[in-house]
Amino acid sequence: MTNPNSVSAKNIIVEYKTAHGIIRALDCPKFSAPAGASVAIMGPSGCGKSTLLGILAGLAVPTKGTVSIGAKNITTLSESKRVAFRKQHIGVVYQADNLLPFLNVFENIYLQLALCSDTSDANNRISDLLERLGLKGMESRLPDQLSGGQRQRVAIARAIIHKPDLILADEPTGALDGKNAVNVIELLVSIHEQLRSTLIVVTHDPSIANRLEQTVTLNSGGQQ
Amino acid sequence: MIFNYVRADLIRNPRRSLTTVAGVFLGIALTCAVLFFVDGLSASLTQRAVAPLTIDMQRILTKTSADLQLDLFISSSGPQASGSVVEVAMSFKNNSSTPANEVVIRSLPNDSLKYVLGSALLNNQAINPGQGNPFASGTVKSGLNIGTVAPGAVVELHYRVELLSNSAVSEQSIDTSFSTREVLYPVKANHYKQLAQADIADRIRKLHGIKFAEQLSIADLAPGSLHSATTAAGTARIFGFDSSYPQHDKSVKILKGSGQPRAAMISAEIADKLSLGIGDSILIDLPDNTKITKTISGIVDLSGARSLFSSRQGADLETFVYVPNSVVLDIQGFSKDILPAFDRASTTRGERIKSQPIREIDIGIEREMLNAEPSVALKQTEQISGSIKGIEGGGEDFLLDHISNTLKVATDDAKVAKQMFIFLGLPGVILAAILAAYAGLVLSSAQRREQATLRIRGASRKHLLSMLTLRVSLITAVGAVIGVGLGFATSVLVVGLDNLLRATRASLLISAIIGTLAGLLATGLALYFTGRKSINREINNDRAKLVSIRPIWQKYWLDVVGIMIVVAVTVLVIKNSGFRGEPGSVYAGQSVKLSLGLLVLPIAAWLFGCLFGSRIFVWIVSWSKSSTTRMHTQPLHLLYGLSVRRRSWVLAQASFIIGLIIAIGTSLAIFTTSYHGAKNADARYVNGSDIRISPTAASKHAYKSSDATKFQVDTIDSVTPVIYGVHNIVLHSNRTEEIANLAALNPSEYARTAMFENAHFSNGSAKKSLELLAKKPGAILLSSDMADFLQVKVGDRINVLLASSTPDQVEVELTVVGLFEKLPGFPDGADALMNIATYEAAVPTSSVAFFLAQTTDKSDASLERLTRSLRNTIGVEDALQIETRQTALAKDQSSLAALNINGLLKIDSGYSLAMSVTVIIIFVFGLLLSRRREYVTLRAQGMSAGSIRLLICAEAATSALAGTLIGLPVGLVMSYYFINVLRPLFVLTPIFVIPFASLGVLLGLVAVTTLVASLAASSLVSRLKATELLRDE
Repeated sequence: MTNPNSVSAKNIIVEYKTAHGIIRALDCPKFSAPAGASVAIMGPSGCGKSTLLGILAGLAVPTKGTVSIGAKNITTLSESKRVAFRKQHIGVVYQADNLLPFLNVFENIYLQLALCSDTSDANNRISDLLERLGLKGMESRLPDQLSGGQRQRVAIARAIIHKPDLILADEPTGALDGKNAVNVIELLVSIHEQLRSTLIVVTHDPSIANRLEQTVTLNSGGQQ
Repeated sequence: MIFNYVRADLIRNPRRSLTTVAGVFLGIALTCAVLFFVDGLSASLTQRAVAPLTIDMQRILTKTSADLQLDLFISSSGPQASGSVVEVAMSFKNNSSTPANEVVIRSLPNDSLKYVLGSALLNNQAINPGQGNPFASGTVKSGLNIGTVAPGAVVELHYRVELLSNSAVSEQSIDTSFSTREVLYPVKANHYKQLAQADIADRIRKLHGIKFAEQLSIADLAPGSLHSATTAAGTARIFGFDSSYPQHDKSVKILKGSGQPRAAMISAEIADKLSLGIGDSILIDLPDNTKITKTISGIVDLSGARSLFSSRQGADLETFVYVPNSVVLDIQGFSKDILPAFDRASTTRGERIKSQPIREIDIGIEREMLNAEPSVALKQTEQISGSIKGIEGGGEDFLLDHISNTLKVATDDAKVAKQMFIFLGLPGVILAAILAAYAGLVLSSAQRREQATLRIRGASRKHLLSMLTLRVSLITAVGAVIGVGLGFATSVLVVGLDNLLRATRASLLISAIIGTLAGLLATGLALYFTGRKSINREINNDRAKLVSIRPIWQKYWLDVVGIMIVVAVTVLVIKNSGFRGEPGSVYAGQSVKLSLGLLVLPIAAWLFGCLFGSRIFVWIVSWSKSSTTRMHTQPLHLLYGLSVRRRSWVLAQASFIIGLIIAIGTSLAIFTTSYHGAKNADARYVNGSDIRISPTAASKHAYKSSDATKFQVDTIDSVTPVIYGVHNIVLHSNRTEEIANLAALNPSEYARTAMFENAHFSNGSAKKSLELLAKKPGAILLSSDMADFLQVKVGDRINVLLASSTPDQVEVELTVVGLFEKLPGFPDGADALMNIATYEAAVPTSSVAFFLAQTTDKSDASLERLTRSLRNTIGVEDALQIETRQTALAKDQSSLAALNINGLLKIDSGYSLAMSVTVIIIFVFGLLLSRRREYVTLRAQGMSAGSIRLLICAEAATSALAGTLIGLPVGLVMSYYFINVLRPLFVLTPIFVIPFASLGVLLGLVAVTTLVASLAASSLVSRLKATELLRDE
């Protein structure tokens, strides 16, 4: 029996049609992450790391292959069902914070709860999380009133507030300095441990990969 | 390289390029369309202006001196030495059959010649020996009266002149002429024989552009000059014209028979009075006490023939005084029988004919040739009139050039129309500029990242500015080409190709150049400056300003300042009666004068009003900021509420532009509806009521006021009989007396049936004035002009000779109870108004001139139906003339009243709608462009594409709704200004009419556009590449 938050991808192929013919962006015969594991995906630029992460998040559909999260094959789900699945089970963090600029810290996080229809005790839950992330007192600040590290922590808070089974992070420290990068990755690992969720991080930084339990390296074209 | 980059950028981003080009070409197309439209319209103004003219020009001939001749000879001509003496011999011959009375010979040598004292001889007898030149005596150099010269007699006159210096001498050195009691103007010596009326007509006919040249002669006969077994009382008029005349002047209606040589046609009235029919004879008394008898070959209705009864005198030109006792002879018969009688009468010593016969050539111009705008047509008619004047008839003929006079007014009107339409079209150009700026803003925000990348790669600010200049140039060049073409196509659709091609090529070319330049300047500069601003702004600054960009005008309260200025100027203008222009009239030869400078006010009110509306919008949406502690549990509500509140200026920007568009649409819809209402009201004013039923000369019987009930049929709810006539009374005051036009009617019914302008009454109330007339049997209302002339005021008593010059004339004493400027229903003017009951009591035999009828259903369709029905019933029973407010439209108004305002509305509305669509599309696609990362983030967070679409639609709808709420009141204010500035176009004050249906259509179209554009744009949300966008820093 498959664990509810395990991730497996089989025979993933992503191709794009261009004026010069079909380009294969990703060819990944197999990828798996056990439930509750933390996995780093490494590889050279252009090998398809982020594409794979997008497919695992259900933001894109592969040309061929299947992706299962727990028992759910998300590649066969309709767009609306993928969205519904994602908001309940997945949290995504990117190199860019992607915070909504017109929402303050509190509202950016609250929105995720509202999307999950889980706003009970939202004030306390958000307050606790912000305190834990070192953002207490910044609830009403707008994103442009925060530093890069603070914004990324808010992005993490937004990604985990609904306690997802799967946390996906695409170069989450790429735009941060060394100290902030360490803080952010430690935060992600600590939350993953606390929530017992599966953590998959795309990175090209070996020091970050070393902090995670497993490392999957993709070659050019996505081959492991 | 820069060119290739910009070209590739424009081609590879077709939606972005097309949107920006749309802003430019819509602006240029609108400007060009309005200008082309005015060109086409100007041409139609020509046709509109000349349409009422039956006779275009009248060459009035002076009395012929063909049979009187003065010859001048000198003894030697050519160079002469100083001191030489030259003999001057003059010979006056009377070759006619009547004496030439009071013949005056005038002969004045020029400055190089001196009269030799005592040299003057008359038939070889010395005249005034020892005195000065008797042929140019006194300070006024008056001539010598040689008395009466008998038929066939010759008078010889001589004198000598001496040269004061060495000079050449000829007959022209001596200014010599003669005049007689019968030939009042001086006729030059050695003048060639004068042309006959028929010869002049022939010569005129041969000129280019002449359609017809008809001889017309008119003579007034003494009262009681027409007889059969009985005598017709009243003055009589006798005409001479050929049978072809009525073909050109349709107001001359032959009721029975036809015009025949040596026979006469008589008016229907005289046929009735003398009980004459075709084949009978009429006896005509002539002024020399001779009589002629003519066989009647036809019966004519001349009651509407303005060309026959309008005054030819300068002061009273066009005054229509109808003479019912009229006889028409053929032109040869008139020349043979009537003119000699007048000659004989006027040459009989002691006889004085009150008015000499008028002989003229009535001329019609080829109207097809005038298929151009008024100024061009005017040049053509002036050229023709010059050619006509150039035909020497021998006398001092003069030309009444009605068509040129009319075209002069129309030319001025066309200028006013052009200015007016440009002002009305100006908001469209400003809107296009704002639209281009808005498109540029969205474009530049999309290009900021690209520009930053270029800078990182080494592009300098100068490079970026060069690229911007090139991009704007390419966009505006393409926009100009499309815009001019689209503008031309639009005006063709609205005014028709034929009308448009009537305009001169130069005019169309100038319009195209002006339209292109105005559009290019407005849109090009707007695009350039927004782009330049974007380049100057650092990319990192943008993020800080994403939430809310507060515009400068808002910061410095420029909108409020602007509104205060507009209000202050408006108050000043109202206080100084600045909205009052000068009403125009083709008949008065006066064009409308509008205070077009004041049209700046609605434009200012429009811009500042919409800015102020945007401020209010932002204020309202920001009002509940503090309530954020209570969060919505619905993500869509949460996002919508916070986005609208915190990015209110983004929405306000779009709302401002939509507000501008709605305001233009609203103002034009209100203006057009009010304009049409005013035109209809004016037509009703001219007609007197909805319907005017007039008995004609051919009517079977005279109508009495009691006949009014006969016409109370179908949807006619009240009928007012009116006794009226031109010069039908004589008013006597203590100071003087004057012939005048009186209207007698039931004041109460008139008050209900006609529409009045209270300002036209001295007491400020039409109702009160008519009530006074109704209450006091002996009351009379006088026109202000007549009261001034008679030097009477309200309360004075005056004597009035009713039914003047008829057997029933009677004098009554009446009290002046009020004064008026104008009355509805009397295009020929009414000088006095009295109660019909009083009139009929004094003149029981009086008959009604016309009936004014009011309908219950005011629609045009109903009126048309009713008129048709009346023509088929009472119109068949008797010869009645039925006019309606539609047929009377603009009877005595400026040709501007015929302007196709609907056409302008179509152009402006069409383009407003196109711009509205463009704004909404730019807004929605702009949202998509600038917020696509937000949307994919929301998707990544688990928000469905449908919810995101809904969010986009909700924001677009908010902008559209806010824009509508801003635009409606601003449009109302604008229309107030438009209507007031254009007030002089109308007789009556236009009523402010709000066309709810048109506005509903406009708002509905904006709503549908918003919905369609939002749905189309938001459908792209699901096509956004989330993975790539979310990774971008």
